[in-house]
Amino acid sequence: MAWVARTINSSIGKKAVMAVSGLLLGLFVLVHMLGNSTALAGRDAFLAYAAALHAHDRLLLVFELLLLVFFLVHVTLALLLTLANRAARPVPYAVTGRAGGGAGIGPGSRTMLYSGLFLLVFLVVHLVQFKFGGRELPVADLLRQVLAQPLFTIFYLAAVLALTLHLSHGFWSLWQSLGVEHPKYNPLLQRGAVALAVLTGLLFSLVPLAILFFPDFLR
Amino acid sequence: MTASPSPDLDAKIPAGPLTEKWDRHRSALKLVNPANKRKYSIIVVGAGLAGAAAAASLAELGYRVKVFCLQDSPRRGHSIAAQGGINAAKNYRNDGDSIFRLFHDTIKGGDFRAREANVYRLAQVSNQIIDQCVAQGVPFAREYGGGLANRSFGGAQVSRTFYARGQTGQQLLLGAYGALMRQVGAGQVTMLPRREMLDLVVEDGRARGIVARNLLSGAVEQHAAHAVVLATGGYGNVYFLSTNAMASNVTAAFRAWKRGAFFANPCFVQIHPTCIPVHGDYQSKLTLMSESLRNDARVWVPRRPGDHRPPARIPETERHYFLEEKYPAFGNLVPRDVASRNAKEQCDQGKGVGETGRAVYLDFSEATEREGKATILQKYGNLFQMYEKITAVDPVRQPMMIYPAVHYTMGGLWVDYNLMSTVPGLFVLGEANFSDHGANRLGASALMQGLADGYFILPVTVGNYLAQLPPMPPDPESPVFNEISRQSEERVKGLLAIGGKRPVDEFHRRLGLLLWDHCGMARNEAGLRQALQQVPEIRAEFWRDLRLPGSGAELNQSLERAGRVADFLEFAELMILDALTRTESCGCHFRQESQTADHEARRDDRRFAHVSAWEYRPGHQPLEHRESLDFTSVTPSQRSYQ
Amino acid sequence: MSTAKAPIRLTLKIWRQTGPDAPGAFREYPVGPLSPDMSLLEMLDVLNEELTRQGEEPVAFDHDCREGICGMCGAVVNGRAHGPQPATTLCQLHLRHFKDGDVVVIEPFRAGAFPPVRDLVVDRGAFDVLIAAGGYVSVNTGGAPEANTLPVPRAAAEKALDAAECIGCGACVAACPNAAAMLFVGAKVSHLALLPQGEPERARRALNMVRKMDQLRFGNCGNEQECQAACPKGIKIDNIARLNREFLRAAIKSEET
Repeated sequence: MAWVARTINSSIGKKAVMAVSGLLLGLFVLVHMLGNSTALAGRDAFLAYAAALHAHDRLLLVFELLLLVFFLVHVTLALLLTLANRAARPVPYAVTGRAGGGAGIGPGSRTMLYSGLFLLVFLVVHLVQFKFGGRELPVADLLRQVLAQPLFTIFYLAAVLALTLHLSHGFWSLWQSLGVEHPKYNPLLQRGAVALAVLTGLLFSLVPLAILFFPDFLR
Repeated sequence: MTASPSPDLDAKIPAGPLTEKWDRHRSALKLVNPANKRKYSIIVVGAGLAGAAAAASLAELGYRVKVFCLQDSPRRGHSIAAQGGINAAKNYRNDGDSIFRLFHDTIKGGDFRAREANVYRLAQVSNQIIDQCVAQGVPFAREYGGGLANRSFGGAQVSRTFYARGQTGQQLLLGAYGALMRQVGAGQVTMLPRREMLDLVVEDGRARGIVARNLLSGAVEQHAAHAVVLATGGYGNVYFLSTNAMASNVTAAFRAWKRGAFFANPCFVQIHPTCIPVHGDYQSKLTLMSESLRNDARVWVPRRPGDHRPPARIPETERHYFLEEKYPAFGNLVPRDVASRNAKEQCDQGKGVGETGRAVYLDFSEATEREGKATILQKYGNLFQMYEKITAVDPVRQPMMIYPAVHYTMGGLWVDYNLMSTVPGLFVLGEANFSDHGANRLGASALMQGLADGYFILPVTVGNYLAQLPPMPPDPESPVFNEISRQSEERVKGLLAIGGKRPVDEFHRRLGLLLWDHCGMARNEAGLRQALQQVPEIRAEFWRDLRLPGSGAELNQSLERAGRVADFLEFAELMILDALTRTESCGCHFRQESQTADHEARRDDRRFAHVSAWEYRPGHQPLEHRESLDFTSVTPSQRSYQ
Repeated sequence: MSTAKAPIRLTLKIWRQTGPDAPGAFREYPVGPLSPDMSLLEMLDVLNEELTRQGEEPVAFDHDCREGICGMCGAVVNGRAHGPQPATTLCQLHLRHFKDGDVVVIEPFRAGAFPPVRDLVVDRGAFDVLIAAGGYVSVNTGGAPEANTLPVPRAAAEKALDAAECIGCGACVAACPNAAAMLFVGAKVSHLALLPQGEPERARRALNMVRKMDQLRFGNCGNEQECQAACPKGIKIDNIARLNREFLRAAIKSEET
């Protein structure tokens, strides 16, 4: 099995693991987004979704542990790769004028590290607020309570923006890292990644915006 | 000048019918036992097509090889810039091609000044080259059925040129480079990049190694071996402006000349018809547009001298398609020397176009109409881009402007049939030797010759030399070695010590202009004599007024250039002397005193069917030796492309 | 060439460094008036002649063919490898792409795997080491079958040539934010993986070249596509995807334990 370790240790291997863990985390985000969106159908639908989710506590725990592993792998590798990349150019340029690849990928690719780090901070706050805190309140009220504070609304919206950026590059980049490429489908993969990221961002931002602008939302 | 020396050079051409010479010779050559091969070391100088191919093939056989090149990597030799293609007599097109026809075209293209046996061997080996390169993964152009594609080229009436878009040289060189790097990886080849050969070491009458300068540290190094192979390219840069790479030079060949290798036909310089014209005083080089363009483009100038209208406003009837009119059979596909001379003639008559009047049009409009823009772009897209990049003119909308430029040197160190020079143990390959192209090289033949020499000929003939060598471990510290090394160091110090005022390129530029004017496309006795007088003047000024900043113990690019220009300044005299001695016209060498009534080159087979090979004599004028050229399978005729 | 254009003046800021371990700094040189048809390297020639006349050391820079094919030249001009024009080497970058009065910052390619030599010259020997690790087909001279024995689909040959056009200049590494050599290695692995002649060594080649690349301390691919924007031959990142695929496939399929 030495070959597995050797492969994962290689530059391409690390990127492949980044890609797979990123894909799984991305799938979770999509599911989470769909779940959250039940809130748009009203308080009852939202609470019913929450209740249904928690009806399978054991299964949920397994998924949560798996997610934690993927997450740790993704973050650890990202940091290792970043350190190696920094070391690969010991003397920086005086002027950096990037071309951006000309492929319409936008700002996502060059901000992966920063968007990722911001999401890491967000995740800790988010878990403290919703996973480990406020258990005495129904989740709809907890949500309203947290997002009633404009500072948190801004924080959440910023996180949604970071997520959109991260996914806009990640949803395409992971296929590239895994070697999935075809001249006919490449444009679809690139544009699809951006579209999916924007859609995710929009749906995620609807709930905090609704709480901000409609006092009766989820009441 | 010695009057008409008798032919005294023996090319060691094997006996037997032309078609069997090479096979018989190969079977008769002495061999080195496989287990003994690793006891022999061979130095290869230059890593272009010929050098890389030879080094890789020698290492595959088991010899220990050291390869030297000027550049930072052996992938940069100027073979890489060859655009159009490589000839081979595969007859894939069923158009009647054969080894004999390729041989015939090449020897006729060279205006019957090449050695028959060599050229026939070249044509024979051409097919193996294609096989070898395809096996290496060279991505040649293909037909839809998966077979190899061919295109036609100047000087031939069959399509036998294999190509990879407009960068055939690059792809072939990278194939040879891959083979070389494979041997570097295997430890069979020691690669020494950024090294410049400063001198050849000849001891007991044999080549025993070289002295080279490490261009990064400035250290002068001594490298010994059982044989030395020069694959150092041509000397076109003696003209300052040429299509050669900036670092291409004559130094290695010239130093070998001074150590006893004869220099053959130095005046045979090919001026390529399709280059981008000169645009300014500080232009550093000329860019070639592949001759393959002449397949689909028509060459023309305005009929009326001094017609400065833009090309689109000159009506068809007022355009002079001078090649098509003068040479109906070959039209725009006449050999390079003929095309160049005619372009010059038109410009001399005041019909040249462009700002300087030193250009003719190369027009694609008819082909674009016939075949569609997409097809034309697929064939020549990268050449069009290159042209547009340099001139900011799109050749689809406006005809290209082209003018002849120095491109290739058929002259070079004299070698026998085994590619060995007059110094035993010194072999010379590719453009650096003189052997296969006579007085004019046909398109797509340089790549063929470089690879033939490197892959298939030298690896066989060098064994024959080594097998007969008395036992002699190479000794890089022998007194002779140390002395030559000391002389090289002195020369470097001498250059640095001049302490004048002017940068090296200034002298080079002056030398170039002088040669272009008097030893270029047309030559005559008065001009040559004048040049012969002026070269020593420039040389004296160079040694009096050169300024070289920096030291000799570091990367010093001005110093590198100065060493090369110093040699060009001596070599130029040899070129002119050769041009003066050959009073006939042949191929590229057009002596205005020797032309037919319609201004075509007139050969003089009775007096000049020979190779002139010059011997260096310290303190005296070089001595001419001759190798007579005997034709048994072709009859020299006045070339006619009409 | 066709019309006379106004000459331009530029202020050059060029990185000067006398040796691999010497400290470097930018020096400023006003140049001009110059013809806009001149190439950037011809401008450096003019500057160097001038410096020589003044008794100063000229700027060292690598160059050779000056027609964009040898891959010897290269520097970062105003933050872009080979300058601002797409699909252009430094030797083919003409001054007409600059404006009169522009400040032009010229610095060497920077990467740990490309140590500095002098001024704008760096050591790209790592590329040769990479090719020696597997960028070839192991066929000895003389052992080749007849060239048309193996048909190669035209599209495959064209695609292989797209990748094989790499001139080994190092601009991809210089432009990559991570100084990765993925485009260079990807181009060579793709060129040979796309042809039947490369098939026998396909897996070995991908494994060996990637391992060598990692040893040489190039960075990792971030899929940022800067390499393809800088590549003077327009080589695409499809070749990087193919490299990833070839490597992963080889790792899984090979019988190495």
